[in-house]
Amino acid sequence: MQPQQRRVSLSSGELTYFVAGEGRPLVYLHPAGGVHWTRVLEGLAESFTLHVPVMPGFDGTSAHGAVKSMPTLAKLIGEFIEKVVGGPCDVIGCSFGGCVALWLATERPDRVDHLVLECPAVFRPKGARPADAEALRKALYAHPEKLPADSKPAELEAANRRMPPHYRAPDDTDAELLAKTASIDKLTLILHGTADRTIPKESVQLLKSRLPRSYLVYIWDAAHAIEVDQPERVLAVLGSFLERSEGFIVNWGTLALDAG
Amino acid sequence: MKFSFFHLMPYTHLELESHDWPFPNRYFDPAKASALYRTYVESMIHAEACGFDWVGCNEHHFSPYGMMANCNLIGGALAYPTKRVKIAMIGNLVPLNNPIRIAEEYAMLDCMSGGRLVAGLMRGIPHEYLAYNIPPGESWERQREAVQLILKCWTEPEPFGWEGKHYQYRQVSIWPKPMQKPHPPLVISASNADSARFAAEMRATMGMVLLADLPSGKDCVRIYKETARVNGWEPAAENVLVGMHTCIAETDEEARRWMAHGLKYFDQVLMGGLQASQRIVLQKTRYFENEESRDRWKSRLDKRRTLTLDEAIERGTVLCGSPETVVAQIKRIHGELGHGVFNFTVKVGTLPDEVIRRGMELFRDRVHPHVRDL
Repeated sequence: MQPQQRRVSLSSGELTYFVAGEGRPLVYLHPAGGVHWTRVLEGLAESFTLHVPVMPGFDGTSAHGAVKSMPTLAKLIGEFIEKVVGGPCDVIGCSFGGCVALWLATERPDRVDHLVLECPAVFRPKGARPADAEALRKALYAHPEKLPADSKPAELEAANRRMPPHYRAPDDTDAELLAKTASIDKLTLILHGTADRTIPKESVQLLKSRLPRSYLVYIWDAAHAIEVDQPERVLAVLGSFLERSEGFIVNWGTLALDAG
Repeated sequence: MKFSFFHLMPYTHLELESHDWPFPNRYFDPAKASALYRTYVESMIHAEACGFDWVGCNEHHFSPYGMMANCNLIGGALAYPTKRVKIAMIGNLVPLNNPIRIAEEYAMLDCMSGGRLVAGLMRGIPHEYLAYNIPPGESWERQREAVQLILKCWTEPEPFGWEGKHYQYRQVSIWPKPMQKPHPPLVISASNADSARFAAEMRATMGMVLLADLPSGKDCVRIYKETARVNGWEPAAENVLVGMHTCIAETDEEARRWMAHGLKYFDQVLMGGLQASQRIVLQKTRYFENEESRDRWKSRLDKRRTLTLDEAIERGTVLCGSPETVVAQIKRIHGELGHGVFNFTVKVGTLPDEVIRRGMELFRDRVHPHVRDL
């Protein structure tokens, strides 16, 4: 399923986005590495109309002068949903995108239905970040052999990874976001890899404890890049949650094949 | 040195003949079993007064080898009559059971015993996989995944789900949680290189039983310690458990006579049928991840089968003799392996329970005082 690249004019500038598939609309907010068309996105596009905005400054796009913080970035995504999707929709955010998604739920709750936070990059303790590309690769993947051969050029990856600091306060422990989290009433699924060394489990445990209507599911044998390490497991949980909402906690057995 | 009083709880009322596994249960007499359970549990409770630090038992299925389909029931029976000893479940066969249930039952035992549980997370011996119809080729995958899931059950502060290869749960939040924090100490069997590495990765005490010889045990300890260091921790002596058949009597001759008597039943009846079923599993499945591990296991069993009692004592794979002899044997083996927990398998086949009781008292009075500070 080939995603189509499109553009939309928003209040602070032009935004590039991809769209693929047919079905209920679903917005996916990419990680700090930019947009990777993973097997998870391919799988989601089989059941949903998947909208993937490229956040300003990522993947060679231009930053928007008026968008310099996480709240303003979240508001921009809210505007994108309003203009492109229409009504509120389910939103998935992956890592950095998970942080944006959480801000979106606080700044534009009217644009969000179900929320999925894949290894969200929030509430991280201060400390050392991977020193170089190789250290980053080790931190991101439990199974680097599963990485697709057509990964992005290193320069583009590096440029992408310079963007999160552009949007975040110097202290990225997200104290302001943490204070707002308890007011989010969206049904939320948090996913975290059992071998994630980028976002410690304590961060997602804290998030889980603050989000009143949330589920936390660990993806076995996955590091931070859960979509690369274990795409089938991620898809199984995502599909069930987005299809059945709270009912995803039930084992539907053979009825799951046709229970709709 | 800590000492563990370990019981297999065998069924001992059978003729001296072997049967293929599973052993037909038409030979099972519940009234006799009832009396055996009482005798065995009373022995284990008495072990505390004899200076033992742990009392232990384990899980087996479908044979008179051990009457503990769920050893946690025995753990429950030991929790209240004892006050000091560790309740060592060594242990539940993790790949065969629901990991959540293991986490729950172990947490119960830890709370019931006031934080005295030692949590054995075992992979089991090959034929056990036939009992619960679990593919032996999946044993390692299941073991690795289930152990981490159990640790999550004990340590997660919030309800959580688990999406794995063999286990999927949407909402887990066990009640009770263990009393010991962050969780009870673990024991994982480590009788070959693969399992020794896994035990070290999990920061568990390594357990070695049924050693073929001391050099192979020494090799496993080396691999375990090397792996632990790579994983950022330094094992203490108490992180190495060595288990052996044990018989202590007034004289060497008496101990050897009783051990030989018990071993005859152990080898012919209790182990007889198991060997056939284990051979099938080993030949037809990928229970072991590589040929080397499989060959080592087979070689270990063959060595043990062909050894005479005298040879086993000489090799340091059995503790047997007068108190003074056993003290010397313990010191010798400790000198070789540097372990901190010695696990005595006391009920070897039909070794009489009154002989075991007398041996426990000899241990208390004439063995323990000389080896407890090793």
